[in-house]
Amino acid sequence: MGSTASNGSKPRPLGRAQRKWRWPPPRVTAGHTPLLLGASRSTLARYGFCYLMLAFPALLFIVFRIVPIAETLRLSVLNWDLISATKPFVGLDNFRALLQDPNFLLALSNTTTFAAVTVTASVLLALLVALPLARRVRWEGLYQLFYFLPFVAPTVPEAVAWKWICDTRNGLLNYLLSLVGVGPVPWLIEPRATLWAVMIMSVWKTLGYNMVLFIVGLRAIPAEYTEAGLIDGAAGWRLFRHITLPLLMPTVLLITVISTISAYNVFTQVYVLASDIQGSPAGLARVLIYDIFENAFRFYRMGYASAEATIFFVIVLCLTLAQFRVLRSQTE
Amino acid sequence: MPVVNLSIWGGYPEIAPVYQRAADAYQQAHPNVKVTVLTTDLRDYERKLAASLPSDTAGNVLEVEASTVERYLEAGLIPKAPADLAQFVRSRSFNKSAQDAASLASDVYGVPWFAGVGALYYNTDMFKEAGLSGPPKTMDELMAFAKKLVRTDAQGRVARSGISLRLFGAGSGVAEKFAILMWPRGGELLTRSAPGKYRAGYDNDAGRATMKMHLDAVFVDKIDSLDIKHDAEAFELGQTAMFERESWVIGDIQKNAPTLKYLTAPIPRDKRWGTILGVVSLYVSRSAANPEVAWDFVKFLTQPQFERQLLGDVGWIPLRQDVNLDPVFAKSPQYKAFLVKDKDYVYWSMPSIKDFDEIETKLASRLVAAYRDRTLAGNPAAIASMLHAAAEETNGILKRDGLYGE
Repeated sequence: MGSTASNGSKPRPLGRAQRKWRWPPPRVTAGHTPLLLGASRSTLARYGFCYLMLAFPALLFIVFRIVPIAETLRLSVLNWDLISATKPFVGLDNFRALLQDPNFLLALSNTTTFAAVTVTASVLLALLVALPLARRVRWEGLYQLFYFLPFVAPTVPEAVAWKWICDTRNGLLNYLLSLVGVGPVPWLIEPRATLWAVMIMSVWKTLGYNMVLFIVGLRAIPAEYTEAGLIDGAAGWRLFRHITLPLLMPTVLLITVISTISAYNVFTQVYVLASDIQGSPAGLARVLIYDIFENAFRFYRMGYASAEATIFFVIVLCLTLAQFRVLRSQTE
Repeated sequence: MPVVNLSIWGGYPEIAPVYQRAADAYQQAHPNVKVTVLTTDLRDYERKLAASLPSDTAGNVLEVEASTVERYLEAGLIPKAPADLAQFVRSRSFNKSAQDAASLASDVYGVPWFAGVGALYYNTDMFKEAGLSGPPKTMDELMAFAKKLVRTDAQGRVARSGISLRLFGAGSGVAEKFAILMWPRGGELLTRSAPGKYRAGYDNDAGRATMKMHLDAVFVDKIDSLDIKHDAEAFELGQTAMFERESWVIGDIQKNAPTLKYLTAPIPRDKRWGTILGVVSLYVSRSAANPEVAWDFVKFLTQPQFERQLLGDVGWIPLRQDVNLDPVFAKSPQYKAFLVKDKDYVYWSMPSIKDFDEIETKLASRLVAAYRDRTLAGNPAAIASMLHAAAEETNGILKRDGLYGE
């Protein structure tokens, strides 16, 4: 593929060096007194308003994110029932107990299965839907609305509607399956089927959001690249595989990270679909947030729940870092 | 006269009108007192209590179940009742179970208010149709009747259950309903082995028989099914012939299915005879600015007219046994089965220990899984193994918190 762009020079995607934060900051020139983190008085005067505006959200972030995380870490090594004045230090006991707790292990397994399936399915399906829509087809807005609506609608009424859809005897899902010869599936009765019901609903809900991000990503790819590929004889799958996909990797990375974090945080649809009094297998479709919620606010085992939240935090952090590492290497 | 604000908190929203009527009457008698009533869903209310009692931001008068109050009493977050109220509680106005539920050791902390009592509901039209003249008297009859009452559709699926068992659902209710049907056979969720010490009481013949009964109902006799409506909703819709529940369903039926023909009966007997009594008492929080007014309101609330309203209008069983409830019974005879005056009929309670909800919830989770497991049906060894594993978990929780005793 020896084609060039219209100005004669081959455009290159920005490399890591050009995007990297520079630390320490550049040395200040003579006559400028460093004041704060290497910033000079004139820089401060110039950007003072910006610093001020950044300080407020930073403060909110510290108060509502960093402090609770730090407090959770602290509580994870204590034994506290939310009522007692004393919180005895128990070291790693809560973590040891968790590793032998069948409920926690079931929740971890279910959540991981849920995340793996929903992230894979929602990313692939969203890309499949976004590819034609990115070309500005007719009724494009209507299609986008159709796919995006489930994402903006509140989850609880959606989950209630899915409860009807998944009804074993009178549900739409089983009716559709019966048309292709599949017998009734006890969606909200069998624990494994319930997890699948929750996963199907979650993919349906997040598909539209991922689709919008993909459309934006696809439309941001300069036309020169695809034109060059077409001139060189690449079309269809080859064009997508060698031109579109590599340039779309930053979007794939963003969507995968957001979807993974969101998938590990699944709670509402499980709570409504799988823990109601009528017809569902209660805690058997339990996921991590449900388990944390139950330990903390039903059994009042705050230290134990904090240890669980800490493990949850570490898992999501590691997965996010791994995704950044793997997918970023493919973008460069 | 300075204005006194008094807040009443509860976890049973259906009782709010009774509180409001009492509040209106109390304010009329005491114009300087302003009473506010706040009721929310029980689970939310329990969380609200757990957060607000330690921080001294709870309401003044609190409605708390015996099974959850102990932790607050032990932590000193709820003070003892004044001497006159304690004397009232210890009087013949309340039975021993109610007195015990509102006390810790020898001290009275609250005034018994109402109880969740279990009884059997049965549809009289369906009984007539099946040629049954009265309710089942024994546990064996219960299942035999259910077989006669069940109806199936053209595909052989259960269309109307003979009895609606609690086969699924959130939280501890599944284990509680299991315990209600197990108790007559001699089992219980927790057996007290010494003062303050317990062990699992269902890893035995009674537990295994009750488990078998549930599994047979679903997989062998097919008198109940997992994919049909259950509980009060099914009963009100005419989709089940029998089910066990507390008295509040009577009020619910009056509202949702006023033409339903039904009666209630005591829980059938086996080796013993009795039903659950879940006591809810009224307490005054440590942070109440005017505790004497709060206690005065509690005393005001337990007057006969409000106790009758509690039963007749809402459907919960009031705990004052010296109040004449005949006017309510005359209007709704179904309430009688909840207040059986027979010396053999035992009103038993779950132990008030802090781990109880966790024990019940975790057992419920295992029961729900078991009720779906076809391989357990007709397999006594597998049933025994399942119950043994559950009992080990129960005992493990008790051991963890120093409450286990052989």
